[in-house]
Amino acid sequence: MAIKRRTAILVALGIVAAVVVALWKPTVLIYGMQSAGLYAAIAIPMGLVLGIVHIVNLAHGEFMMVAAYASYFACTASGMDPLLAVLPAAAVTAGFGLLVYKLTIRRALKSPELNQLILTFGLAITFSQGVNLLFSSQTRKISLEYVSASLTIGELSFGVWPFVFVFVAGAMAYGLKLFLTRTTTGKAALAVGQNPRGAAIVGIDVDRTYGLVFALATALIGGMGALFLTRSAIFPGVGGPFTMKSFSLVAMAGIGNIPGILGASVLLGLSEALMRAFRGLRGWADIIFFVLIMAVILGRSIKGRKS
Amino acid sequence: MTTLRTEGLTRRFQGLVAVKDLSFHLDAGEILGIIGPNGAGKTTFINLVSGITMPSSGRVEYKGRDITYMPAHERARIGIARTYQLIHPLENLTVIENVMIGSVFSRGKSLKEARRSAEAICAELELDRLDRDTAKLSMLEIKKMEIARALANEPEALFLDEVMAGLNSDETKQVIGTVQRIAAERNLAVGVVEHVMGVIRELTQRVIVLEAGELIAEGPYEKVSKDPRVIEAYLGGAA
Amino acid sequence: MNRNLLRILAALVAVAAVALPAFAGAYPLQVARNVILYMALAITWDMLLRSGQISFGIAGLFGLGAYASVLGVLRAGMSPLLSIAFAGAFAGLAALLIGFLILRLRAIYFSIVTLALAEIFRIVIQNLHDFTGGPEGLVLDGVILGGSASGLYWLTLAGLAVALGASWWFEKSKFHFALTAIRNNETAAKSSGIDIFRWLLATFVITSVIQGFLGGIYGQSYGFATPDSVFDANFTLLPLAMALLGGIHSTVGPIFGAVLLGLAAEWLKLQIPYGHLVVYGVIIIIVILFIPGGLYGLIKKANRASEGRKA
Repeated sequence: MAIKRRTAILVALGIVAAVVVALWKPTVLIYGMQSAGLYAAIAIPMGLVLGIVHIVNLAHGEFMMVAAYASYFACTASGMDPLLAVLPAAAVTAGFGLLVYKLTIRRALKSPELNQLILTFGLAITFSQGVNLLFSSQTRKISLEYVSASLTIGELSFGVWPFVFVFVAGAMAYGLKLFLTRTTTGKAALAVGQNPRGAAIVGIDVDRTYGLVFALATALIGGMGALFLTRSAIFPGVGGPFTMKSFSLVAMAGIGNIPGILGASVLLGLSEALMRAFRGLRGWADIIFFVLIMAVILGRSIKGRKS
Repeated sequence: MTTLRTEGLTRRFQGLVAVKDLSFHLDAGEILGIIGPNGAGKTTFINLVSGITMPSSGRVEYKGRDITYMPAHERARIGIARTYQLIHPLENLTVIENVMIGSVFSRGKSLKEARRSAEAICAELELDRLDRDTAKLSMLEIKKMEIARALANEPEALFLDEVMAGLNSDETKQVIGTVQRIAAERNLAVGVVEHVMGVIRELTQRVIVLEAGELIAEGPYEKVSKDPRVIEAYLGGAA
Repeated sequence: MNRNLLRILAALVAVAAVALPAFAGAYPLQVARNVILYMALAITWDMLLRSGQISFGIAGLFGLGAYASVLGVLRAGMSPLLSIAFAGAFAGLAALLIGFLILRLRAIYFSIVTLALAEIFRIVIQNLHDFTGGPEGLVLDGVILGGSASGLYWLTLAGLAVALGASWWFEKSKFHFALTAIRNNETAAKSSGIDIFRWLLATFVITSVIQGFLGGIYGQSYGFATPDSVFDANFTLLPLAMALLGGIHSTVGPIFGAVLLGLAAEWLKLQIPYGHLVVYGVIIIIVILFIPGGLYGLIKKANRASEGRKA
């Protein structure tokens, strides 16, 4: 109930913002939607893990960064297009994610939440600094021709490629929804997320489900790592901000509410793009999501106290 | 003298009514049993009275004063103490320090004074070797420590939530005696939640029976236990 | 008698720490200053952790203090020493206002918001070009105490003394009882009359004052402040790893951890200029998984075991 209402509010806010912005500054709408797609596609796997395994993975963005590095080296060595690397990257990262899960996170599932937080924080540092150690902090980029394709409508001219993230985010949300409601494994995962003990009683292998969900999430984020390469330069710290943004989006949507992440991403993407549209405010754009997350979390805590 | 009284106390959790229109009173020097089948709302009721949960409607009065929405820590200060069903002794603190917590904040005592009065209470409850870690305490010692902490609060109203659970029959007898003695000596108003009816019969002068959050019977245990509604509630719960 | 031995040992260490400039050259003193600074931050982080709240925002209050101090000198004409006190007061005031908003949050929500706050401080300061110098930061005319190596060392040592004193006071006073009770079980803590919000607020403000104060010392010791230098994530990461390794919920633990990791970091920095921080990440993981009590926890356990055998 509460989740549905929140999704409705977020989607409505997103639509209102989109309409207002579209009439006033169409480029803001375009850039805003493009980054919203990217944010959502990265945040959804985190939402999946948080909703089912109940772990806040502070190394989330770092998993993407590692996958992006792996894809980068695979592509530059073989001359392969990063798009072809998406599936292999997903598979490899899933394996890596499962390994990391088994070696570390799984052992901390029963520890206090604070230990889990510090543990994944440690993983994040290890990944980003490990990459820094191996490959230096130099930025790396693959230049691709199709990425610079642009479209001109009237006086507007904009890049088309980043819209791919909007489709990916939508596909991810829809696919996960089908997975969680239509397949036996997905239904089991959902049951585990809602009540692990109850799920265990009816014979679901909770431990296996956790591993599976974590691997699935890292597969998605691994694929995103390869896709991310098509758009941006990478460096060891590139994943960090996405961890924070993803968590904010998941918190805004409410844990376990994947469609809500789409709405929250639109809100964030548009607000940031709007700030960037004004010369004097450009430097402040990064503050938007911190302010949003504080507002949402605080609003929630006030509401929680009342009920 | 009535120490604590509620009127029409109600608490809903997302549509579910955990406690419904409950009016009761608890007098100084009396030990009251609060019984009912699992999920009847006994713990929610104690939470409402001690301020851990706030009521949806109704009223709580302590010595004639309205405390319906007073926060829990202030209630502790004016003399309402309680124990918890699931006890987690504070690791990193010794037995005596666990007991001291009861008076350091609610009575505003200095650490020295708090230690002195905690020692006196522990002696009274026959709890010894006070500088021990709490990790190796026996169940009986944990329960005693929990009662001692509540007493360090110098309460006038004391709620014991399943304090006998996990004790064998000898230990139970011992704790029953202790509770009766401290209640009489201090003229306490005591509310006791227990599952074992033998304990309730031994310990209490009066009981209230809850079922699905509602008070369905009240009176001495001997009388209430023959009430058809009470029997029905327990059998219905068992079936 | 064992305790007396420890006391004598502690006194000796303290004397040695104060007298260090008599024996050590500029480079060792510089290393010692770094270790001491991180040690003090690690202690303040642990003080709040004793209530169960993880802050990821040490760098935020530290940086705020550094800027408050440098701005105090440049814009308000304060003397350098006064500006350091001002830095503490300013960070404390900020923590008081923020605390009212965020100290009802728990677990990850609190942690993420503290991390966000540190970023907000940085972005705000970076964007107030006219007042704070923007991304280029601010430079003072000179370094405090004429930049004397031993002077700067003693100044940092004074910062550590403040942190140690506060931590020791926490352990011996009602703070110890309140914070332990809150960490263990908030509901039970309330029933013992503990006003949780008030104790958390007091702890948050006190630790923030010290963090701001240390930031002030840092700003004055180097004679400049830029967003990237004083809000560096290392000011959060290193103290956290040090306290974890040494052993949390104590004063002694962070001291051990800071000495070990601080010296190790200096050595690693020379060996591997980039990416030596990976060691910190690995240490955090190993400690959480295998020695959650840290080194001090191990020692205590061994001690208890040997006492058990004697008894």
